[in-house]
Amino acid sequence: MPQNSKRHNALRFAIFNHKGGVGKTTLTVNVAAALASLGKRVLLVDTDPQCNLSSCLLEESVLDDLLANSDLTNGGTIWSAIKPVAEGLGEVGELEPVELSIENLFLACGDIRLSEFEEELTGFWSECLQRKMRGLRGTMALSSLVNQICTDQQIDIVFYDCGPNIGPLNRVILLDCDGFIVPAACDQFSLRALRTMGSTLTSWISQWSLISKLAPEDMYLLPGLPRMLGYIPQRFKVYRGVVSQAFAGYLAKIERRIVSDLITPLRKIDSKLASSSLEVNKLGQIKDFGTIANASQVQGVPMSEVDAGTPEQRADARRAFHQIAKKILERSK
Amino acid sequence: MTKLQAKLVDDLVELYVANRDEVALALEQLRGQILADKELGKYIHSIKWRIKDPEHVRDSLERKIKYAKDKQLRFEITRDNFFTEFYDLAGIRILHLHTQQMEFIDKALKNRLDEARYQLIGEPTARTWDDETEAYFEKIGIKTKKSETLYTSVHYVLQTFSKSKYTCEIQVRTLAEELWGETSHTINYPEETSSVSCKEQLAVLARVTSAATRLVDAIFRSHREHLDNTKRDIKTARKPATPKATAPKRRAN
Repeated sequence: MPQNSKRHNALRFAIFNHKGGVGKTTLTVNVAAALASLGKRVLLVDTDPQCNLSSCLLEESVLDDLLANSDLTNGGTIWSAIKPVAEGLGEVGELEPVELSIENLFLACGDIRLSEFEEELTGFWSECLQRKMRGLRGTMALSSLVNQICTDQQIDIVFYDCGPNIGPLNRVILLDCDGFIVPAACDQFSLRALRTMGSTLTSWISQWSLISKLAPEDMYLLPGLPRMLGYIPQRFKVYRGVVSQAFAGYLAKIERRIVSDLITPLRKIDSKLASSSLEVNKLGQIKDFGTIANASQVQGVPMSEVDAGTPEQRADARRAFHQIAKKILERSK
Repeated sequence: MTKLQAKLVDDLVELYVANRDEVALALEQLRGQILADKELGKYIHSIKWRIKDPEHVRDSLERKIKYAKDKQLRFEITRDNFFTEFYDLAGIRILHLHTQQMEFIDKALKNRLDEARYQLIGEPTARTWDDETEAYFEKIGIKTKKSETLYTSVHYVLQTFSKSKYTCEIQVRTLAEELWGETSHTINYPEETSSVSCKEQLAVLARVTSAATRLVDAIFRSHREHLDNTKRDIKTARKPATPKATAPKRRAN
């Protein structure tokens, strides 16, 4: 697609935390499915080279086939379309997303070889700072691909599923997003991660602002202003309807860190980047759903649809994710 | 200077300091483009670059205000147009050996600026005081401006084609012109020297450096001609001699 074409108006989100194992993928699948059930056409973009999202949602044989042929020009993964740019041989190719069994839900399939693109992104970034067209085009490649899919499939909402790191691939993803959501597990490592997340995000935003101010005026560029939509405490234990004491302690700590390490530095750049109210920022909370959470991963369907657990558990999950989905829509108005 | 003007100067200097990183990056990007150009590389001896010191910006603004007042002109710089109207916040100087390289430098530089998406503001202008050099610049299509101060250089003013617009100035001059320029600048900046003797000697130095540049032009022309002649001689020497006429074969009776 031409590099100077306009950005498609679908909203783009990432569920982002570079700390691994906080339930990003599970949250992405369930929130996206909730939004799809509200009638939104949702595209999931699996940008984690580990492809957890793709392997969760696709039959093993389908995924194996896509990965085996992804190097071909008509391959069906994100790598297939991005490859010409990564190898410096041309423009972003076309990609048809996989239409999932859940209505309104589409998947741009991940690929282990996205790590090769990620290596190139480091060079592209320094070329952006030098105002070199090659670097600017390379940095825009993934966003251009998402534009193309959104136009073809009339997508309303995009969810990127990010790998657990603060590397150059997540940098272009976050800068492409209209908003991001922070899942936070209730443990010591998650608390620590919040600090690096705040400083990393602010440095990405400031650097890109400098790059885009000096880039050729008519180029298609990343918007570069991801708003924090909120955070979601995850997987805490509930005992007889009450949050257990140890987790309650962590919840309070998480809230303090969210304000000091994330909201405050973001608002220093631009007050529109985060709300100062903790109430607004708390999008919901996801308790440890146990059996149905595991079943959701294995069966590749949202927790509300799994063939496991009790009807109450499934209804409980449906309520929790619908509430989050609605809050996301509200917050991104 | 009125109180209002003094306040404006303060504001503009503050605005500059707040955006200095951006100006510096814009300059770095332009420098990278020039250094990466292979064609320009054939002619460039060396490059100097700088962004203006905030106190020099202040001096320069105050001088411009005074000049406008003396000539009864409007002082046009405001907060809104500061970065585009103040031409040399960022500057690059390209040094080369002799004047006759200019037609190639001009072409390569314009190509590179075009490719890298910069816009030239106005036409490049050569400051010159010597008739022969003036005629050369006009012949290769570069506008000239008579230099009363004996200063010589070709100036390009360009703007970044981007959301934040910055102007940068590129000066192109020969090494000998640089010797005069730097000597004159050191003696006459920020205040012009009052020594008649220094002025006299600078005027003579201008003739000497102009003659030096002219001499380098001549040396390179002679050198090229010499190489061409030598090549021709070698070619002629290698040419096979015309075969000797052989005696007609006798017909057998």
